Amino acid sequence: MLEDLLILIKHDLGGILRVRNVKGMRSERRSAFRRLFRYVAAAIFAVIVLWGIIFMVQLLGWSFFQTAIIAGIDFGATIFNFLVIISFMGSIAVSVATVANTSKMEYLMCMPISLRTLFLEKTIVVVFYNSLIYLIIGIPIVIGLAISSPVPFALLSIPVFIVMLLGNVTLGVALGGLIGLTISRFLAGRRRLKQIGWFLGTSLAIVISTFYYYSLYAADSGFSQFFSIILDFAKQIGLSSDFSPGGAMNAVTVRLIVGLPVNPVDILLAFLFVLVSIMLIYVNAIASETAHYSGWLASGSKRSSKREVKIAHTSWNPSDIPLLKMTTTTSVSMWYNTASVRREGRVLANYLVGPMRTVLWFLLIFLAPGGTMASFAPFIIISAMIPFAVSYGVYFAGYELVYEGKNLMNLQLAPASLVDYVKGKVFSAVPFTMIATGIASVLVIIVQPSLWIYIPAVFISGIFLTLASGGIASYSAATGGDFKAQRNISRQRGAAVQMPIRSMWAMARAHLIPNMIGFIGIGAILGIGIFLNPLYSYLVVPIFALICIQLMRSYVGKSGRKLQTIEASEYL
Amino acid sequence: MIEAIELTKQFSEFTAVDKLSFHVNHGEIYGLLGPNGSGKSTTMRMLLGLLKPTMGTARINGFDVQTHIVEAKRSMGYVPEEPVLPERLTGWEYINYVSDIWRVPRGSERDEEIDELLTLLDIKDASDDLIETYSKGMARKISLVAALIHSPKILILDELQAGIDPRGAATIKEILAGLSDRGNTILMSTHVLEIAERICDRIGIINKGSMIAEGTMDELRLKAKGQQSLEDIFLDLTGGPDMQRIADFLGE
Repeated sequence: MLEDLLILIKHDLGGILRVRNVKGMRSERRSAFRRLFRYVAAAIFAVIVLWGIIFMVQLLGWSFFQTAIIAGIDFGATIFNFLVIISFMGSIAVSVATVANTSKMEYLMCMPISLRTLFLEKTIVVVFYNSLIYLIIGIPIVIGLAISSPVPFALLSIPVFIVMLLGNVTLGVALGGLIGLTISRFLAGRRRLKQIGWFLGTSLAIVISTFYYYSLYAADSGFSQFFSIILDFAKQIGLSSDFSPGGAMNAVTVRLIVGLPVNPVDILLAFLFVLVSIMLIYVNAIASETAHYSGWLASGSKRSSKREVKIAHTSWNPSDIPLLKMTTTTSVSMWYNTASVRREGRVLANYLVGPMRTVLWFLLIFLAPGGTMASFAPFIIISAMIPFAVSYGVYFAGYELVYEGKNLMNLQLAPASLVDYVKGKVFSAVPFTMIATGIASVLVIIVQPSLWIYIPAVFISGIFLTLASGGIASYSAATGGDFKAQRNISRQRGAAVQMPIRSMWAMARAHLIPNMIGFIGIGAILGIGIFLNPLYSYLVVPIFALICIQLMRSYVGKSGRKLQTIEASEYL
Repeated sequence: MIEAIELTKQFSEFTAVDKLSFHVNHGEIYGLLGPNGSGKSTTMRMLLGLLKPTMGTARINGFDVQTHIVEAKRSMGYVPEEPVLPERLTGWEYINYVSDIWRVPRGSERDEEIDELLTLLDIKDASDDLIETYSKGMARKISLVAALIHSPKILILDELQAGIDPRGAATIKEILAGLSDRGNTILMSTHVLEIAERICDRIGIINKGSMIAEGTMDELRLKAKGQQSLEDIFLDLTGGPDMQRIADFLGE
C-alpha cells in the first residue's frame, strides 16, 4: 500500500509542480517567468523573512524577542488553531466531491490498488495544498528564530514545527472530509432533503468551528461558555495549552524556541494529535471507499421515486426583476446561474457562509480584546458585510463563469451577447447580498439601535459593491480562469482545494480590489455620517453606486469580449 | 476467464442491470451490444470492481471481484468509454505512471515496449505533449497503450472504436485479433456492429439490463429468422426506428 501511495503522490505532484516546458509541440510554451515565478517568489519571500528575523535579532538582541514571545506565548496557539479551522472549513466538501467524481478517476480505479489507497492519496494532496502557504511562511520564521535562539534544543523546533503543522492541517482536512461524508450518509437517496441537509450541515460546521475558535481565542469573553467544559478539562489535567491542536503545537514548538519548560503532558498531547490526524485521514479514506461502493452520493436523478411521477415539462420563461429592464440573455443567465448553484446544497453553503472565514479576522482583531472595543461592535458587523458582498460577486460571477467550462462553446455559438450573459451572472449574486445585509442590519439594530440611520445606506452600498465585485471577478475569470476546472477533482465546484481562477494576479485582483473599494467606500459613507452628519452619508451613496456601476460595466464588457474570443482548446 | 453470474445493479428502484449472466472464455473476443443506457458500461464497471453489484457475482480469472479486488484487477486492462486522463501529464509520463503502478520493471525494455505501442497506434509524435491537448481519439489510443503495457490476460474495452480514425480502428482490430490468438480474453462493447460482426467470437445483446440474445453470429442468425447482418438482428431484437415519428418530424 505504501509503495502504491508513494507512486500516486509522485506522479500527481509531478504534473502539478512541473517547472520545465514539455517537449511536445502541441502544448503551450510558457515563458520562464511564468513557469518559475511562484517558486522564485516563494524562495525570495522565505529568504527575506529569514534574513529579516536574523537581522532584527542581531539589532535588538535575543532577550528582546524572548521577552516579547514569552509575554504573548498564547498568541501562537491562536494562529495555529486558526490554521486548523481554516483547513477544516475548506475541506467539508472535499471527500464528498472526490467520491462523487470517481468517474473522473476510472483510469486509476481500474489499476491494482485499493480504492482506499486512492482516496488516501487524494486527501494527502489536499493536505499538501492546504499546508503549502503555511509552510512557506512558517518555516523561515521558525528557522530564523531557532537559529537566533541560544536555547540548546531550539533547532529541534524546526522539524517539530513541520510535523505538527502537517499533522494539524491533516486533522482539519480529515475531520472536514469525514463530516461531509457523514452528512452524505444521513441524506443518501433523499432528493430535496439532501440539498437542504447539505446546506444546513455545511453552514453549521462552518459556524460552530468559527465560534469554537473564537472561544479559544477570547477565553474571557462570553463565547467561551459554549465550550467551557473542554477548556476546564484542559486546565484540570495540567495542560499549558488549551486542549486544542494549535495549543499543543504552540507548546512544543514556540516554548522550545524561547526556552520555556515543555510540559510532558503537552508533548503527549501533541503526539496524540499527530496520531489522531494519521488515524483520521485513514478513516476518511475507508469512509470514502465505503461511500463509493454504497452509492450514498448517487445523485437524485439516478434514483427513482416510489410514486409514479409523470414527466411534464412546462415552458421556462424567466421573468425580469420588477423595475429592472434586462435583455433575455441577461435574464436567462441570471436565473440559470441561481438554479445551478442552488441545486448543490454544499456549494451554496460554501458560497453563502464561506466568507465567514474572512470575517473571522474582524472578530479576532476587534472584538476579542473584550470590553474596551465593545463600542465598535456594530461597526465591525457593518464592516463584516463587505467581505460577504464582495465574495458573492466573486463566487457567482467569477467562479461560476469559469465553471461554465465546455458550455462556453454553446455560448460562443449562440446568437447572444456574452456581455449580457456575464451581466446576468453578476446580477444573480445581488439577492444573496440583500439577504446577508438584511440579517446584518437586524444584528446591528439589536446591538446598537441608534445606528439604524446608516442601515439603508450600507444595504444599498452592499448591493452596488456586489455589482462591482462581480464585474471585476468576471474579468479575472475570463483572463485567468481554468475553464477545465470542473473536470479537475481538486479545482471543481465544492472541492475548492485549488481555486478555479488559476492566475495569481487575476485571483488577487478579484479579491483585493473589490474589498479595497468596499472598505474605502463604505468606510467613507460611515465616517462622513459619524463625524459630520448622518444625512451626509446619503450624499456619498450615489457617488459610490455610480463608481461601482461604472466598474461593473467596464469589466463586464471586457470580460464578455474576452470570452467571445477564447479558443476552444481552453475549455475542451 | 470472465464470469458474470446473475449480476444485478439497482439504483434505488431503477434496475440498471438485471440478473445478467454470461462468461467469456480464454482466448475469446466477446462483444457486449445494446442500445444506449442498456447497462453495458454498468456491467463492465461491476466486472472491474468499480461498482459493487446489488446482487450476483463477478469473477475474473477465478477471483471474486468483491472479495479479491486487487488480485482480480492485476490481470485486467481497461479502456473506459470516456477516458478522463491526468491532463497535466504528457502521454509518455502517463504511460510510465501506469507502468509504475503495475510494477512493470523500469529500464530500456519497458521504454522500448512503450515506444513500440505508441508507434503502433500512431501516437508517438504526441507522446511528449500534455494529455490536455489530445483529441478524443488520441485519448482513447493512449488509454489503450496504458491498458496493454502490463500485458494483461484480460482486456475490457468500452466503446474503444468511437472517435478513432479509420487507420487507428483497423490497427486496433488487428491488435485485438492477434491478442485473442495469443490466448487473451477480450470483452468489448461497441456500437460499430460491423466490427463486432467481424472480430467477435460470441456476441451478447442486452436491453434494459437483461440479456436478450447470446451466441455466435450463426447462432444469432438462427434465432432471428431470416436476418443476415448483425445490424438487422440487433434492430429486430431491440426495436428499430419509429418511422412514423421520423416522418412527422421531417414533415414539419
